[in-house]
Amino acid sequence: MVLKKNGMDTLMGKHTLIITEKPDAAKRIAKALDKQGKPEKIRENGVPYFVANRDRELVIVPALGHLYTIVHERGKRNYYPVFNFRWAPRHLAERGAKVIRNWIETFSKLSFDADEFISACDYDIEGSLIGYCVLKYACGNKENSAKRMKFSTLMETELEKAYEQPLPHLDFALIEAGRTRHEVDWIYGINLSRALTLAAHRWSSRYCTLSTGRVQGPTLQFLAKREKVIRSFVPIPYWQINAEAEILNSVIEAEYEKKRTGMKEADEIVRACAGKTGEVIKINVRKIHQKPPIPFDVGTLQREAYSLFSYTPRRTMVIAQRLYIDALISYPRTNSQKLPPIIDYKKILNSLKRKRAYKKLASKLLEKKELKPREGAKEDPAHPAVYPTGNLPEKPLGIAEKRILDLIVRRFMAVFGEEAIKESLKVHLDVNGHRFFLRGRTILKEGWMEYYETYVRAEEVLLPSIEEGDEVRLRQVIREDKFTSPPSRYNPGSLLKKMEKLGIGTKATRSEIIQTLYNRGYVKDDRIMVTELGLGVIDVLGKYAPIVTSAKLTQELEDKMEQIRKNNVKRETVLTEVIEQLKPQLGRFKENEEPIGKVLTQAINRRRTQERMVGKCPNCGTGNLMIIYSRKTRKRFIGCSNYFKGICRTSFPLPQRGTVKPVGNNCKACGWPQVLVWMRGRCPWRLCFNPDCPLKKSRRKKP
Amino acid sequence: MVCDRETLEKFCEFHEKAYRNVVQKFEYWKRATGVSWKEYLKELVENAYTGCWAKEIAESLLKNTDE
Repeated sequence: MVLKKNGMDTLMGKHTLIITEKPDAAKRIAKALDKQGKPEKIRENGVPYFVANRDRELVIVPALGHLYTIVHERGKRNYYPVFNFRWAPRHLAERGAKVIRNWIETFSKLSFDADEFISACDYDIEGSLIGYCVLKYACGNKENSAKRMKFSTLMETELEKAYEQPLPHLDFALIEAGRTRHEVDWIYGINLSRALTLAAHRWSSRYCTLSTGRVQGPTLQFLAKREKVIRSFVPIPYWQINAEAEILNSVIEAEYEKKRTGMKEADEIVRACAGKTGEVIKINVRKIHQKPPIPFDVGTLQREAYSLFSYTPRRTMVIAQRLYIDALISYPRTNSQKLPPIIDYKKILNSLKRKRAYKKLASKLLEKKELKPREGAKEDPAHPAVYPTGNLPEKPLGIAEKRILDLIVRRFMAVFGEEAIKESLKVHLDVNGHRFFLRGRTILKEGWMEYYETYVRAEEVLLPSIEEGDEVRLRQVIREDKFTSPPSRYNPGSLLKKMEKLGIGTKATRSEIIQTLYNRGYVKDDRIMVTELGLGVIDVLGKYAPIVTSAKLTQELEDKMEQIRKNNVKRETVLTEVIEQLKPQLGRFKENEEPIGKVLTQAINRRRTQERMVGKCPNCGTGNLMIIYSRKTRKRFIGCSNYFKGICRTSFPLPQRGTVKPVGNNCKACGWPQVLVWMRGRCPWRLCFNPDCPLKKSRRKKP
Repeated sequence: MVCDRETLEKFCEFHEKAYRNVVQKFEYWKRATGVSWKEYLKELVENAYTGCWAKEIAESLLKNTDE
């Protein structure tokens, strides 16, 4: 029974309190569980919650992600090591989390009259921990009597089933693993970050937040390793032969048998083959059977979205979470590459048929006698692979959401497709004793590619009909001068793959870790470049606390966490081990605070200089243009670094309001360096400071 | 001195490795193109694939060769 006027006071009698992870999930769960599908929304102190009527009164209250976090037991922030901690409300530990107080108060008040408690947070480590903390701390030790709803999508039928048949108690082993993970990460993070920050502060008397952690350290370590190889790279010259063959009036690229040659050898080949006619001596035909792709787990979804749309893993995760909340896809934070029949393939395909774009494809699949998906090896005990629910969006989706949803739908259909068959053709040409190859590719049977069409890169190269013994003229043969190139930089997608391969971080935290590296200024750009600061931090950690940058250590900890989840290892044992491991490392840090502070300060200064560097001075050619702040006038301008050597007096004015940042590439019209200017209320714009830039002139001419 | 990091002998730990790379790869270049040491260094300074530490080393060595 609900009286409609005064929020909390309106609830009468005993009720069931259902805890969800986020407000949007609460809304959807309340709608699914209310008999009429119209739960009442109440807002108390800014906290929205829902009252639904079913077999009894249900009060569905959302959390805001984690409401509790770990804090240092005794307050001061300027020393380490610290190993004593406790779980406390987030508003006591974090600035800007004041709103959490209202949330916790609401839970406490609503739990007073509740006689049944259900955790309906996402079924994974974080979700289970969120529900546990609310039940234990906000509701007054109700964690032992609470039940657990388990679901993989927010579809009405699944939610109703999860409510009717809840698990009898919380998954305590999973919660224990989650608690331990948070505690271990806190111990690592706070101690090492304080050690770095304090060392730099004590040396320079300037404050700069430096951080590292159990996963951040090893991730930065292998990025830095590659960065050092790239920065020390010396290219070696080699030569390549490129040729064009003429067959029945069409021109086709031909490749020389050796990928690399010496300069003299290359010249001889060019002399021997240019304009000459050769003979087809062999034709190899090979059929390639390509199996359908496997269903998306979170990592493959993030990587595919990065390679197709350049979305960072974190962005993809945020979009997928929104789609999940809207009940358009299943739970995205999954490791599984399996699609069990229980999800009802036919029902999903029938639902997808309602959308014009998928009608033909879904119908084609439904005509099949048996629907059997191709599956990958990875499993997740809690959730299947990511799949579309078949629901149609209730509100218009943004472009990014549309793209990710379409990708998931097409991937889902593609896994049921038949294998694709391609034909590869390799024609061997003999020209004056030298061998060249012509290559062709054709698709014989589209198979699964028909469903995944938009996202498959399968270019066909058609060769004209050709037979052994035919004559082919090489129209052009040229020598190309080339250099070996350094190893390619990681991008957020390939970094994610590397982290997965090394087993560091979890499906839920990897994208956040990558983002933290950007936020701290340790890395920059899409093709990840480690900054001077990142190199400095890794340099220090490598010398004084090598164990914390080792991927092996973090892999071992992940294994232990898994053992806790399986009830094989105790939380206390892992925590004690971690503390014992960390103590000597921190001791070394303390002893060497001075040299560490010096290295870090230099790295911070180099990063600050790097951030102000705009590009080469176009006037003197040797100096660098920098953003300079005048102590005298307190104004900023662009000046040449050679000014202080008395060589160059180049300077340009800059806007005094807003933020100015080097762009990193030069003006397309004149080739001068440029900066990006942000001003409140205006779109950011690129500023080229060449007064004679042709672009500026052309703009001035326009009326 | 090509940077402000602590030096081992002539260069810091990072530039030292780049220096060794520059010296080592000269043999390949000489065999492949017959360039002199000075021409080689010039090529490295202008080459887009040369890493920034290797480039700084090449610039510094070139300067010493000129002097």
